[in-house]
Amino acid sequence: MNNNRGSRAIALAAVLVVLSGVPVLFDGGYAAAAAASSQDDWKKEFEDICSMTQDSMSLTPDELRSLVSRCDALRPRIEKLDESQRKVYLKRLQMCRDLLAFVLESKAGK
Amino acid sequence: MKKIIFLFLFILICSGITLAQTGTKKKRPLDFEYGRVVLNNYSEKTGFAPVVFNHWLHRAKFTCRLCHVDIGFAMKAGGTDIKATDNMNGYYCGTCHNGKATSTGSGKVFEACSKKFTADDGRRCERCHSLGKNVKPEYEFAQFTAKLPKERFGNGINWEKAESTGAIKLVDFLEGVSIKRPALAIQKDMSIDAKLEGMPAIIFSHKKHTVWNGCELCHPEIFIGVKKGATKYSMVEIFEGKYCGACHGKVAFPTIDCQRCHTTPVGG
Repeated sequence: MNNNRGSRAIALAAVLVVLSGVPVLFDGGYAAAAAASSQDDWKKEFEDICSMTQDSMSLTPDELRSLVSRCDALRPRIEKLDESQRKVYLKRLQMCRDLLAFVLESKAGK
Repeated sequence: MKKIIFLFLFILICSGITLAQTGTKKKRPLDFEYGRVVLNNYSEKTGFAPVVFNHWLHRAKFTCRLCHVDIGFAMKAGGTDIKATDNMNGYYCGTCHNGKATSTGSGKVFEACSKKFTADDGRRCERCHSLGKNVKPEYEFAQFTAKLPKERFGNGINWEKAESTGAIKLVDFLEGVSIKRPALAIQKDMSIDAKLEGMPAIIFSHKKHTVWNGCELCHPEIFIGVKKGATKYSMVEIFEGKYCGACHGKVAFPTIDCQRCHTTPVGG
């Protein structure tokens, strides 16, 4: 009888430990996944915008304006990165933005 | 007495003229020195010799665009503000010089500025931090360029021909660094009239330039206008390193090689 009670208590304790661990694990995993996703987000946006530079001459002024705005919106996110990444990607973003704005201006001047 | 004063003045004037004419003539770089860049923003401050970067070796393997757009190197020496930690973090030189095999296909590339440093690493540091040191290079210019098409000026190599004939195969994409993009629609070649009477006009080839540079390396930082004639510039400004002179005369063939640009016969 006593043995039975002991086993039950152990089983209950194990269930509680497992249940309390799940949210912790889930939270940690979720945070890491969210951080990775956030990390990828800015880069994906950067690549989406700057992959258009080679086609910039064929884009409409509205499309170019939209891309320039997206560059401006992305800048503060890149400014929060560590120094090496920030230096490289701010320069790359600036070059990309400058080209898009330059093509936009040249189209507007026609 | 008057004769002595006259003789003294004569010698003084003659020596003045002689000195004025010799002046400080700029030494023409040797073939392997052409396009050399010395980086010393932080090297000497941290006890290292300045870095000597040879453009000839890198331009034989990579496009200008790859390093100056995708990797983020500035077009002016010292303008990148590169630090050892940047290399250690895998940026700038550390993008390729990471001690691992890279997508360049050239095998393992030695690591630049590693976090772990041993006494034996001194030689590795000196591969870049080599100004004023007698370091034996891994690649020797004459041997490396022996089979490449030759040219009169610059470093004696016709790099454009080397690329177009397939003598060199340029890498323009690095996995994880470059952005996948559609092929560039080539803009038409255009003629630029010379300002000097009798000087042949220039045929500017976008095709030749975009192979190496893409779009954003030149526009709008170097050339502001997209329409023909939008950017006004003179040979004086080009000699000063502006416009075409941003590359030509520093790394690309020099502007004293007139016939490379002024190609259209007068009246042609």
